[in-house]
Amino acid sequence: MMKPRHLLDRLFILSLWIAALIVITILAAIILYLFSKGSSFISLDFILDRPQGSPLGSAGGVMPAIMGTIWLVLLALLAAGFPALFTAIYLNEYGSQRKSSRIMNILLQSMASVPSIITGLFIYALCVVRLGWGISLLAGSMALALMIFPVLVVSIREALRSVDSQTRLAAAALGVSKTYSLRRIILPQAIPGILAAFLLAMGYAAGATAPIMVTAAAIVAPAPQSLFQPVMALPYHLYILFNEHVSMQQAYATALVLLILLLSINALALYLRSWQERKQAG
Amino acid sequence: MKDVVIELKNFNSRYGKQEVLQNISLTFPHQTITAIIGPSGCGKTTLLRSINRSAELESGYSCTGDILLSGASMFNMNAYSVRRQVGMVFQTPVALPLSIRQNVLFAPRYYGLRQRALQDDLVENCLRKVALWEEVKDRLHKPASQLSGGQKQRLAIARVLAVKPRVLLLDEPCSSLDPASTERVEETIRGLAAELCIVIVTHNLAQARRLANETAFMLNGQLIETGPTENIFSSPKHEKTRDFVTGLFG
Repeated sequence: MMKPRHLLDRLFILSLWIAALIVITILAAIILYLFSKGSSFISLDFILDRPQGSPLGSAGGVMPAIMGTIWLVLLALLAAGFPALFTAIYLNEYGSQRKSSRIMNILLQSMASVPSIITGLFIYALCVVRLGWGISLLAGSMALALMIFPVLVVSIREALRSVDSQTRLAAAALGVSKTYSLRRIILPQAIPGILAAFLLAMGYAAGATAPIMVTAAAIVAPAPQSLFQPVMALPYHLYILFNEHVSMQQAYATALVLLILLLSINALALYLRSWQERKQAG
Repeated sequence: MKDVVIELKNFNSRYGKQEVLQNISLTFPHQTITAIIGPSGCGKTTLLRSINRSAELESGYSCTGDILLSGASMFNMNAYSVRRQVGMVFQTPVALPLSIRQNVLFAPRYYGLRQRALQDDLVENCLRKVALWEEVKDRLHKPASQLSGGQKQRLAIARVLAVKPRVLLLDEPCSSLDPASTERVEETIRGLAAELCIVIVTHNLAQARRLANETAFMLNGQLIETGPTENIFSSPKHEKTRDFVTGLFG
């Protein structure tokens, strides 16, 4: 006969398992469903061709959308990456006790909670209309940059924070400057984590639809050739295929391409993170 | 009488509202090992970190009074230069995430040591002083993280010696080491006393007795008694000191 508190213990652990199992099952179901529905339509042609048929998109492929998404994401990372890196370094290494960093933390949190459609509309008003860029690759990547910036700062800071504090102290006690130990010790230790942060932000940007809907996305466009032209993007293309009833088959296949892209980015990011952990343990 | 290297004058320090050190006046002479003993939380570590001016890196720290380094107030000097002259080794052995060689060269390179031959000499010299040379000379370019705890601690001492400090502060350097490694580190410390002013904080009364020429006993942020180690242990003047060294409280 088990004692009541042991029984309670077991029940508690069991409920934890069940909760995790439910979520994992749903995730697995999404992936499996998309594979079963979409994989038969995916071919090399689908990936390499441009949208064809009438209505447009009911045949052909998604190459311009893949290229559009890649360009949007890379430009967004280029625009947000360095500011985010420097902000995170400042917050974690220099200003952790200062008032300026408390204010900056509040600003970052507010920034992170701005709905992405509002970020998109802001960039629409500022860049598309006011600055006259028009619906364009550049405007879309600015909207994405604004959206991923707070996420980047937080995860880069996490990567810096996970560098052992004893190591910092030992370096500082030798009388070297903070910049020197940052360059020789802290950044090299944090690099895998920082790269992981970049990748996760890329994944976040690649899947976002709202910010680019009003700033960059076109129903049909060639693969990007200029910063100032509209582009296609995978999530927006998917939305059109589905919403305009263009083709469910094409929509499933597009969704699967997007999912595979995001899963690979996330898998790489997780690998880099565990690399940093091993590096520090070693 | 040996030259006084460090002199604390009516030194007080606090973290936020909490007083940690009260009115400490104490001297540390050249070529002498001074042990600081006292129960946990009595301010020993804060005292060391104040002398190295690395306590200031923490938030809420403030201090009054003065600490003289070779006769001049260290608060009139550049904090980085104080830290360079007053080296500190911490309780947890820390290997910087670099090779063994680059661990030793970490601070010298910052101070401009570029010449390969000089670097080689310095690395060998410092590693010999901590009796690590024979153990690591064939793997200087391997990550220092591969070393054992005791080896890491001796490497930490070598890293400090590499900038030629005048003072070496050791904060419970052996508390995470096994007896054999402890013995090695103690031998190293004893050898270094010929050229440095050494201050060691220790929980281990036997270690203080084995190593130190002078011993200072602290309690609740105050300096209770100081004197030659033998006197502190065999004929303490203060009742609290006697209770502590005989193990009545710890």
